[in-house]
Amino acid sequence: MTYLNQPDYVRYVCNCGSLKPISKIYFCRHCLMIRCGYCVCQKVDSHYCPNCMENLPSSEVRLKKNKCSNCFDCPCCFQTLSTRAGLAATMKATEGEENKDVKATPKKVYYLFCSLCRWSSRDAGIPDQSVATGGWPEQENPHTTRINALIDYHKILASIEKQQCERKKFHPKRPFMPTTMYSFTSTLLRKRIGRPLKPPMQSQSTAQPVSSIATEEIEELSEDIFTEPIDITKITTLEQRLQHPEVQAEKINELRPQHRQFLVKRSQRCRVCEHNVSKSDLCPQSIKFKILLAAFESPSLLPSTVRQVPVTEDPKPIKIIPNADLILPHSALILPPRDDAAEYDDTSDNHNFQDDPKLVVWRKGNKAVIRLHVIPNDTNENNEEPVIVGFVMQHGYVNTIAALEHKSPQKVDVKVKLYLNVGQLVDKA
Amino acid sequence: MLRGYEGVRYISDKQMIVFDIGSAYTKFGYAGEASPRGIIRTEVRCPESKKIRRIIDHTDVEDLYQLLVEFLHLLFFKYVVVSPKDARILLLESPLAVTSFRDTIAKVMFKHFEVGSILFLPSHLATISTLGIDTALVLDVGYQEATLIPIFEGIPVLKAWQALPLGGQIVHENLRRYFNDMSNDIDLSEKVLEDIKVRTCFVTTLERSTKLGTKDAPTPPPDVMYPGVQRILITGEIREKAFEILWERDNDNLSLSTMILDAIVKCPLDMRRVLAENIILVGGTTMTKGFASRLKSELLALVQNDLYKNKLKIQSFKFHTAPSKPNYTVWLGGAIFGTTDLPLRCLTKEIYLKTNRVPDWSSLIDNQKDETSYEV
Ligand SMILES: Nc1ncnc2c1ncn2[C@@H]1O[C@H](COP(=O)(O)OP(=O)(O)OP(=O)(O)O)[C@@H](O)[C@H]1O
Ligand SMILES: [Mg+2]
Ligand SMILES: [Zn+2]
Ligand SMILES: [Zn+2]
Ligand SMILES: [Zn+2]
Ligand SMILES: [Zn+2]
Repeated sequence: MTYLNQPDYVRYVCNCGSLKPISKIYFCRHCLMIRCGYCVCQKVDSHYCPNCMENLPSSEVRLKKNKCSNCFDCPCCFQTLSTRAGLAATMKATEGEENKDVKATPKKVYYLFCSLCRWSSRDAGIPDQSVATGGWPEQENPHTTRINALIDYHKILASIEKQQCERKKFHPKRPFMPTTMYSFTSTLLRKRIGRPLKPPMQSQSTAQPVSSIATEEIEELSEDIFTEPIDITKITTLEQRLQHPEVQAEKINELRPQHRQFLVKRSQRCRVCEHNVSKSDLCPQSIKFKILLAAFESPSLLPSTVRQVPVTEDPKPIKIIPNADLILPHSALILPPRDDAAEYDDTSDNHNFQDDPKLVVWRKGNKAVIRLHVIPNDTNENNEEPVIVGFVMQHGYVNTIAALEHKSPQKVDVKVKLYLNVGQLVDKA
Repeated sequence: MLRGYEGVRYISDKQMIVFDIGSAYTKFGYAGEASPRGIIRTEVRCPESKKIRRIIDHTDVEDLYQLLVEFLHLLFFKYVVVSPKDARILLLESPLAVTSFRDTIAKVMFKHFEVGSILFLPSHLATISTLGIDTALVLDVGYQEATLIPIFEGIPVLKAWQALPLGGQIVHENLRRYFNDMSNDIDLSEKVLEDIKVRTCFVTTLERSTKLGTKDAPTPPPDVMYPGVQRILITGEIREKAFEILWERDNDNLSLSTMILDAIVKCPLDMRRVLAENIILVGGTTMTKGFASRLKSELLALVQNDLYKNKLKIQSFKFHTAPSKPNYTVWLGGAIFGTTDLPLRCLTKEIYLKTNRVPDWSSLIDNQKDETSYEV
């Protein structure tokens, strides 16, 4: 894992201009081009809870607002809460738990607890539950009914507007909106001024008026604030408040656990040909990615009738500047076809390649070490800048897609641009 | 086999995704829902330097493009969790948003994420959708600035718009100055300053404010010790004075309260009283304790001032309360408006790819050009 945190010494230039390590590069077997996370079209594939690993279809995820119904986050520190079992509060009345005379079987109850910051549902005054999962009180948005009424009202307004448009034979090419409640053109404004204010909805709707009423009454600043000392540890941070936008509680003990958000797995399609370039397994426990290995991927190709014209994004300018020359080898290097068994097999043969010993230092199985000469432009050894070389690597690739389509496999040459960071200059040779 | 993205596509076809990308906080969620799915800082970890960068700190348009790619990727795949391709987007935008921002975000949305359509909705206009009325004076005090536009019978009165660099940012700077005056060796990050502000500071009353710094200054509120490795003494004086910068009139005699009166003065006579009696405050800064009551006292005092006494005959100011917390009221307006399905207002991918530009009709400022030519 450690190598994941290292700087990227070898970077591939994707066709979109991104510079990426090979672990972040995809290859489209149809376009025979390098692709990367920046230039593929990504889609949400499946949702799962990172805690209980529950995997739900999107329709349900949508209803649950993308949140797991079983798992909760700590409202203070946002870690996952654990469910703890305890004894029912009624038992506390019977002092002395060692007393063997207690006949009633202790009732098991459950509460939520954060092992990191020690927040607990008991401290927050949330009643214990008699079942281990679910049952926790949900905080409803108190404004839901009012907001639904507003939505209905706006839908009616919109349908009136649509009718008006049709009546006026509105031309969509006109730059401005027609006369509506929402238009914002100045000429119309002038005509409007001076007309009496009348609610547009009076005759059309039987729904009760939804207009908000303004008031002069405003909550005054409490006089306490000038005299009462405050305990800052009992006041929530903005981050804690924003975890629950419709409440934004100011006091720590008013915070309520929030359902854990689902995470998603994504699929990546080549934007040019719409084929998948990598497909994560639908099962969240598995992190296997069938990159380039899937034998059949035709079901994932959309029928050509629904395909849209590909949208192209301008390539990014490449900002890296090589500061050294590379002396390229005169001969090609032959690597055997990838052999997965070779990683574990010490005896795998070396194919007896006729290597130029000046080029190939060592080879074994799928690996080969080659030596290339680099001439830095600036030979000052005090230069702290790393030496960077850029070159194009050409390699053969057998187009297996053609083979799938019952054509004979085609061998094609693929060219990749690479930048190598070969480190700092240490000493003059 | 179940194919996840089919369901998601169903959602994205049906329901608009509503974004209010503020200079400090972004509110996101779905049209038709009563509150945003979340509110996060408008910032992103730079994939190269691994440092957190705010979107507003972009160096040029190209940099902004890349920052927005990263930020929207997070929003789509981590927070809203929806496939952006062909999605319908509603973007709330400040009337003062620079065209380069709108153009860049449209380009990222269409060219990088291939969204289906974008509806640009001016944030002040969206706000009145949360009230079920068509006339209101909308004052938004967020992070970078305070902006005001009166809406009369559903139409923004553009010639009356006001904007001042008053919001969370200037309060944080003010706090930093107070701490620096106290001691040279406290260098607090803006995140800490914001935390101190949100948890301990408040907007004091007009009455006390006039006495602050004089010899009969009131007893300051209790001091607070800020916990942590670096314990900081937050004096009662700082707690009370942090927000005063919003009310002090600057060299041009401008403050939050003059914004409201100046806007009203710029409106025709028959609109004035209606606007003064239909004020709605939105934006996170207006949630500060004491903010609304101070604004009301400032307004009542200011109409008596010589500056306005002869121009305005207004006796009372009335305020609306939206069914939301003020820092996401604009978002909620978008979420309500977004259910109405008026296709005319949308910029579709097809049109955008053909023209490669965001048409003028989505811009209040562009419309304002003819405002001046018609009105003056
Ligand atoms: N619940 C709250 N209590 C107190 N202050 C808050 C609260 N929520 C937000 N704020 C403050 O409000 C400011 C952010 O408000 P808002 O989210 O409206 O800004 P924005 O939309 O990002 O900015 P702008 O509209 O200027 O681009 C921040 O300075 C924040 O500290
Ligand atoms: Mg805002
Ligand atoms: Zn790429
Ligand atoms: Zn779970
Ligand atoms: Zn915790
Ligand atoms: Zn392809």
